[in-house]
Amino acid sequence: MVQSVLKQTALQSQLAAASVLRPENGKGKRNMAADLLLTALIDAFSILVIFLLMNFSSTGDILFINKGVELPKAAKAEVLERNPVVKIEENKIFLENQSIGTGDALFQSLLELRKKFSGDRPGEEFPGIVTVQADRRIKYEFLNQVVVACAQAGFSDIRFAVLAK
Amino acid sequence: MRPHKKHLDFELNLVSFIDLLSVCICFLLITAVWLNVGSVNVKQAVGGQSQAETEKKPMMWVMLGENGDLTLDLKEAGHVPADLRKMKLVGDSGKFNFDSLAKILAQLKEKEPNLRTALIQPKAQTPYEDIIDLMDQFKKSGMADLGIVPL
Repeated sequence: MVQSVLKQTALQSQLAAASVLRPENGKGKRNMAADLLLTALIDAFSILVIFLLMNFSSTGDILFINKGVELPKAAKAEVLERNPVVKIEENKIFLENQSIGTGDALFQSLLELRKKFSGDRPGEEFPGIVTVQADRRIKYEFLNQVVVACAQAGFSDIRFAVLAK
Repeated sequence: MRPHKKHLDFELNLVSFIDLLSVCICFLLITAVWLNVGSVNVKQAVGGQSQAETEKKPMMWVMLGENGDLTLDLKEAGHVPADLRKMKLVGDSGKFNFDSLAKILAQLKEKEPNLRTALIQPKAQTPYEDIIDLMDQFKKSGMADLGIVPL
């Protein structure tokens, strides 16, 4: 029944009409229109769109993770927000992607950031939040200078960037 | 005269719909972020406020030792029996014994529900990953306020 309805509608369609060819020997018409069932294709597309929309991130790229850097993993990770980023890569410290020599230099740069914030937004409370992005294999000995510099400059709320498990 | 029968079968033009879905899929695939990056929030432990200004609340000091050993030291926790206030957790083949830690934390939270603060004191050679794993375990056990102690 379904097949006959499909056949009928296909024959009535413009596509079907255009596709009916008369063979050269002229013995009869041959229907060249194929009944392509698009339902399954649309189902698959819809599922893909829904899946991708659910995974869509509107926050944009906050961190740029270079090749070879592996962030630690955590199950109880919170949403990453846009804050000044201190990055540790190959035993070098970067602040907002600019190389900073040591912990003392980081302290000076963070102080400048703080002064800039106070100048730009007078009267507003300084949030003191910094994001630290470091490779999972580094030792605390190295991370310590970043922690100390952040604390001394008034960035007491440290957010360690992690991969959500 | 019999009325003319109207055809109920009609053709829905799906081409534009498929076009739209294809464009959506391409856009979402290109802009997809496959790495889900989050953050573990930590407060700096030492400094900031003077001791007089600091509110007295139950707090746990966690000292990391060699071979995954942990020393837990509870302060300002009046409801916790004295034998549970200072404990040493032996590591499990060089790693932290997270199962034992989870059990002990559950036990302590039962005795002292206001226990929400833990200060982690790593050693110089402690890998960063181990510190994050430990913080994650504390967060799972309901310790929301975590701090890290500088060397």
